[in-house]
Amino acid sequence: MRTFSLTILTIILTTLLLTACASTNNNGSVKAVEDYLNALVAKDADRLSTLSCKDWEDDALLELDSFQAVTTRLDGMACEQTGTDGDTALVLCKGKIIASYNNENQELDLSVRTYQVVQEGGDWLVCGTR
Amino acid sequence: MGLIQVGASILTSLLIGVAPWRHFAQTARVYLLLAFSILAIYWFQPAVPLRSFDFWLPSTTLALVVLTWFVTSQSGAYTDAASPRRRGDRSLTWRSPHNLIALTLIVGLSAIIDLSRYFLPEPFITTTPPPRFVLFLFFTIIITIFISLLNWLSHHFRWMLSTAIILLIFILVILKMPALSVQASVLIRTLTNRSIENASFTDLRWLGFSYIAFRLIHVLRDKQAGRLPELALSEFATYVVFFPSLAAGPIDRAERFAQDLRKDFVLTQAETLLAGQRIAIGLFKKFVIADTLASIALNDLLATQVRTTGWMWVIVYAYAFQIYFDFSGYTDIAIGIARLVGIKLPENFAAPYLKPNLTQFWNSWHMTLTQWFRSYFFNPFNRWMRGLKNIPLWTMILIGQVSTMLLIGLWHGITLNFVFWGLWHGSGLFIQNRWSDFIRTRYPTLGQNTRLHSALQIGGILFTFHFVALGWVFFALSRPAFSWQVFLKLFGM
Repeated sequence: MRTFSLTILTIILTTLLLTACASTNNNGSVKAVEDYLNALVAKDADRLSTLSCKDWEDDALLELDSFQAVTTRLDGMACEQTGTDGDTALVLCKGKIIASYNNENQELDLSVRTYQVVQEGGDWLVCGTR
Repeated sequence: MGLIQVGASILTSLLIGVAPWRHFAQTARVYLLLAFSILAIYWFQPAVPLRSFDFWLPSTTLALVVLTWFVTSQSGAYTDAASPRRRGDRSLTWRSPHNLIALTLIVGLSAIIDLSRYFLPEPFITTTPPPRFVLFLFFTIIITIFISLLNWLSHHFRWMLSTAIILLIFILVILKMPALSVQASVLIRTLTNRSIENASFTDLRWLGFSYIAFRLIHVLRDKQAGRLPELALSEFATYVVFFPSLAAGPIDRAERFAQDLRKDFVLTQAETLLAGQRIAIGLFKKFVIADTLASIALNDLLATQVRTTGWMWVIVYAYAFQIYFDFSGYTDIAIGIARLVGIKLPENFAAPYLKPNLTQFWNSWHMTLTQWFRSYFFNPFNRWMRGLKNIPLWTMILIGQVSTMLLIGLWHGITLNFVFWGLWHGSGLFIQNRWSDFIRTRYPTLGQNTRLHSALQIGGILFTFHFVALGWVFFALSRPAFSWQVFLKLFGM
């Protein structure tokens, strides 16, 4: 029993140490925006909610609603962090959202806005655009 | 369960089934089944808008399973003088090697799933990234303290078992009552810094909780009644979260399930064929028939769009068959997959639409649920009523049947439409009971005329099917007002 408890304690301490090192991921903001855009075109409201901060959740769902009547896909999406503003990371994406209705395509340029991304409880969340 | 999940379950079951278990301990098979069931509850859990709740909900399921095992196992539960606890028997305590392995498996696999957020670019089993490990650790510590406390209390107080039942019913009521679900979502959103404007009753879609809660209540009640056999944690947890029956039942009995687990099992060719046949039938029922019928089956939108009486009957019939093929299809798949690993799950359906009266319909529709209610509500409630003086028989039958069907309705959701559905069937059962009694006493020779008997049988089948189909109008639609409109259209009004 004593050996068992010691083993468990060692595993927990090692894991905590490893996770502390692993959590310094500076691609997190870019990945959050990419996931956000993927959820948007997939019209996955649940996923979109989990990727948005409290103040942006309504806007994100509103944006998703605007795509409900069309089929959407991403074309050539590539995002990068262009800078920071205090605790907010700024992420710019290239590529387009292609919205189709009745075989008619409308292209929405992703590079016209910069995404503001913040870290909350270890997770990067989209929190607005500029 | 989608097709990919069904496919993965079949493949895993086949691998477990064909493994040469006679060369190993049968317990290895139980651990494998438990391991896959743990992974399955995380994998099958649908995404929810609350961050990391596709991890927290299955984790809470596992916590409840472990908690219930602690309070019902011989080492923890209150036992009276009639069945004294065997002190010093380590095989019965949570410290026994078998139970420690199962406990490590449950906590370890959950921890690995959580840790995957640090080492994998995408979540590998949950739909969204799991929470930070420190939160999981905190959760585990809290649960451990809670379980230790309840375990200690359950040694001394019999009411701990009742407390555990009340806790499960409380969670079930929150999940099933939209107004309470919204409030729970608001609370969680406030605590986790989320927008409360978007709180919805669908935020807490907890995979299979209705079935899990009923399995747990069954073992708690059987423990109270002194009927529950001693189960190892691996057997208990596998029973509650067994992956084929996780999402849509059937609700097996723990002692029967454990018997199958303990048997030496070798997957034979004949068994594989039988299981394969059952799975194929289930897949066809669910993904071909039910999914095709779904497009024309009664729903809120179609109820308002359909204008003619004829088409209204068509969509009501379509719903009646869709719900049957969907549910019985899932059951066939679950029974077939379980057979591959040596578990014979109980049947849930026996041609319910071909029954000549409502009592027989309810003996062949979702049979494991009705048996559960019969064992844990209807029979004890009737026994209690019989003990009361001055209650006429017909009143007892009315109260017993209506309250049971009302509870079955509420199990599906605590909303008005399910209340009406329960009342519809409860009163139907009462009327049928009284009618059968009347016919039996007034015309005792009626059944002896073969032709008349056949005609009555066919008439009974048609009448029962239509009664059930009309009942689905309450079940399928979200508001009684919609149901009323459908009834008016069905009868040309």
